[in-house]
Amino acid sequence: MTKNQLHKLAQSWFKNQGWKPFAFQEETWGAFLEGKNGLLNAPTGSGKTYALWVAFVLDYIKNNPDYKTKHKPGLKAIWITPLRALSVEIAQAAARFADGLETQLTVGIRTGDTPQAERAKQKRKMPDLLITTPESLQLLLTSKDYKKVFKNCTAIVIDEWHELLGSKRGVQTELGLSRLKAIAPKLRIWGISATIGNLDQAREVLLGPDSKAFKNSVLVKANLGKTYKVESIIPKTMEKFPWRGHMGLHLLEEVVPIINNSKTTLLFTNTRAQCELWFQKMMYKHPEYAGELAMHHGSINKETRLWVEQAIRNESLKAVICTSSLDLGVDFAPVESIIQIGGPKGVARFLQRAGRSGHQPGKESVIYFLPTHAIELIEASALGKAAINQVVEDRIPYLLSFDVLIQYLTTLAVADGFYPAEIWKEVKQTFCFQAMSEEQWRWILNFITKGSQSLQAYDEYKKIEIEEDGKFKVNSKAVAMRHRLQIGTIVGDAALQVKYLKGGYIGTVEEWFISKLSPGDVFTFAGKNLELYRIKGMQVLVKKAKTKKQAKVVSWMGGRLTLSAQMSELLREELYSANLPFEQQTRELQALKDIFDRQRLESIVPNNDQFLIETFKSREGFHHIFYPFEGRFVHEALGSLLAYRISLLSPITFSIAFNDYGFEILSDQKIDMQQVLDNDLFTARFLVEDLQKSLNSTEMARRKFRDIAVISGMVFTGFPGKIVKNKHLQSNSQLLFEVFRDYEPENLLFQQAYRETFEHQLEEGRLRLALERIEKQEIVIKACEKATPFSFPIITDRLREKLSSEKLEDRIKNMLRYLDKI
Amino acid sequence: MNQSLSILDQNFVLHPSGGIFWTEKSTLLIADVHLGKVSHFRKHGSAVPFKAVAENFKQLTRIADAFEANSICFLGDLFHSSLNTEWQLFEDWVKSRKENVILVAGNHDIINPLKYEKLGIAIYSEIITEGFLLTHHPEEREGLFNFCGHIHPGIRMGGLGRQVLKLSCFFKTENQLILPAFGTFTGNYYLEPKSGDQVFAVTRNEVIRVC
Repeated sequence: MTKNQLHKLAQSWFKNQGWKPFAFQEETWGAFLEGKNGLLNAPTGSGKTYALWVAFVLDYIKNNPDYKTKHKPGLKAIWITPLRALSVEIAQAAARFADGLETQLTVGIRTGDTPQAERAKQKRKMPDLLITTPESLQLLLTSKDYKKVFKNCTAIVIDEWHELLGSKRGVQTELGLSRLKAIAPKLRIWGISATIGNLDQAREVLLGPDSKAFKNSVLVKANLGKTYKVESIIPKTMEKFPWRGHMGLHLLEEVVPIINNSKTTLLFTNTRAQCELWFQKMMYKHPEYAGELAMHHGSINKETRLWVEQAIRNESLKAVICTSSLDLGVDFAPVESIIQIGGPKGVARFLQRAGRSGHQPGKESVIYFLPTHAIELIEASALGKAAINQVVEDRIPYLLSFDVLIQYLTTLAVADGFYPAEIWKEVKQTFCFQAMSEEQWRWILNFITKGSQSLQAYDEYKKIEIEEDGKFKVNSKAVAMRHRLQIGTIVGDAALQVKYLKGGYIGTVEEWFISKLSPGDVFTFAGKNLELYRIKGMQVLVKKAKTKKQAKVVSWMGGRLTLSAQMSELLREELYSANLPFEQQTRELQALKDIFDRQRLESIVPNNDQFLIETFKSREGFHHIFYPFEGRFVHEALGSLLAYRISLLSPITFSIAFNDYGFEILSDQKIDMQQVLDNDLFTARFLVEDLQKSLNSTEMARRKFRDIAVISGMVFTGFPGKIVKNKHLQSNSQLLFEVFRDYEPENLLFQQAYRETFEHQLEEGRLRLALERIEKQEIVIKACEKATPFSFPIITDRLREKLSSEKLEDRIKNMLRYLDKI
Repeated sequence: MNQSLSILDQNFVLHPSGGIFWTEKSTLLIADVHLGKVSHFRKHGSAVPFKAVAENFKQLTRIADAFEANSICFLGDLFHSSLNTEWQLFEDWVKSRKENVILVAGNHDIINPLKYEKLGIAIYSEIITEGFLLTHHPEEREGLFNFCGHIHPGIRMGGLGRQVLKLSCFFKTENQLILPAFGTFTGNYYLEPKSGDQVFAVTRNEVIRVC
């Protein structure tokens, strides 16, 4: 069949469904049929699945003219999705088209949820299209004859590539692709990404810099002409407006009319705890929503989640309170309204959420913003402008993630074993490891075979063995088993399954939360009041609680979000505009008038040429608050940097708190601000050196190390359901961090913790720009009597970083003196 | 700097390494060294730095040299797991010392007692002497003062400016003193002192009474 005929074939199927292909879909088919690799930039719910799946099927038809009668089983295409929840949807769409053209092509799913029997069946006979996750793909690479399985694969699609790109799952995908390229010579690689700032780089990372695949690739953009509008929910009475920590519940009644006036409403919260709380309060205040209001987040069991997703499609739900678990995939045509509760912290995420409504092309998407504290209204106003200009962030790819490489090499060693010379070439072609030196490679090989030591008589290190012909291989069944259980790059606190005493799985909670409860205590989870009966192994057994009263709401750890660079800039501009004449201010800023007035009582609202510092004394000590308005990550770095530089002047101990607007340095001593200015402590000179040293005294690198230790297999997180039995192999990563610091600081994994802190947490580049900006600003120091509206949310934050230049013994003695006084 | 303590008219010196010297008996008390833990992890594919092994022996030598006691009494969990190559290092260390070595066995001590006997190390499940009860697990027994380990006690301290410190400690209640874990690759369990309890925090250089 010619290209034209193939296109006609697809078009007529589309016509039968009552659809018409979009230009970007046809463009993708064309490029694929020409043998190109590529990246498709298309938002969720735009028909991106059909752009690539149709392309694959047409190519199959082209190469198999008797496709209706003859069918040779075996894996032909792989679809990688970051979220298991999306796989069903994709499978349905794929089967619909494949069956519609009578191709006999089969579709299968393989994720962590796939039952063992089904997996075994797949092993014997792979489906033509396999839908899977990055982790499950890597698991497939651990099987003995994986090369045979993938040999005839002609296409791999990485869906939601923007989600993977800025994470270690992206690195895991890059490595998997590097192997597939070598064993499946006919493989075409395609990514699908929502709009991000660095699309060209996204394509380069996917295909490998300077690779043949990259040179033979295209970027297809779906221009659907979507426009967005942000509608802030402004409280009627400002003085009751809480400063922080109330999760926005005081504005609950404001969302009721929006829900009532729309077919279906999605309410996005930032955390699972917030989601639970909102659901609980909503049901309590509006019992009439029973049966029409649901909740959706990543820790609720799969059946419930799928049920909710289906119910949205059927229009049988009025509203769903959810987290980022509904950010991706899943096309929900009936959704009419979107409400964002609390700052989304990034423009791209906000727009993606806004895009969940108004799916008809050309229709404006409206998103309501509900601030959880006063200053978030400034964010709302800034987001409104961002939505119009559509400024979006970059996703920064990881570089030299040795932990993921070690996991990958162990994977290969578990399967058929590998020869370093061959794998080195493949790994070097990935974006992540393009700059890896031969010395580093040798170190990695030494690490996995000898535990980074030169062989010593007393050492019994055992993981990967080098066989006589130079093959690296895992021969121990126990090592292989532990490795398979631990594949993955998402590290969380140990998750316990919550089950009813009589049976019935409800979802998972983290160990630290449940450890605070005793049997008989009541907690709320998945919208239900549950009484803890007992903890058995990795299971939490519960009963339905009899009490109606409010119970402890389950919460999860998990990183707090930070403002992106783009978002911070918008936020600053917005804040400066508070000094404009009242009538020139946005609706949101006008609503904040009383708060700005109170801020000006003792302090100022800074202009773009001013840098504000506030000080005051309280029972807790001396507070020094700085306002760069750069987002919490930059503030964490700036706070540590400044604290470190001050600590060089004289022995002193600090605790540092930070949010998206500024940071606080709290101490038992008063800092002489004039000395800070005289010594030029805001300088961008010696930035890297000083940061490095301040990092040694804070906890940031230590936290990064936790993930690295787990991913690289140094910390074993336990067999599911058997945690106690393997306790002798569990150590906490804190302890491990200290041992490395004291005895093996040159270890590449240990150093990686610092590098990652620099590249992904501190954002050195942004920090430098911020310091340069501050150097040009006039520094305004305000000595206040008490906390100002700006400082209050910061000083009450309990998550703090510590830094000290005092001797440990002196600190203890100072603390004892302080205790004597109170 | 050490701390001295008098209990039931006997004198004890708390050492920054985490051990106690019983003056009248000329005996060192040491708990939870967890030798072999590093090797155990390495044997199972977790690359804990091998150099950490030497530190335990360095600390043992440090406290032993400081007091030159007649005996060293380990209060359990001397070895973390079954026999591995660190045993050889331990054997060499024991042979290099003049002290008489005793082990009060703990839950981790699963190495064949014959191996200890060959080295001249006597093993007990508990020792009662001069009104003192030496065990691995904390115990309460009428009329006896208990020295023990097992818990790996730690203390959290707070101060002005929201400072927080976490330290290993000796934890003393009316009839009991729990020793900190001596080993380098061991964690802490943080205890809340009640009124009447005495807590001695351990830094690398000093033992400081903090409550």
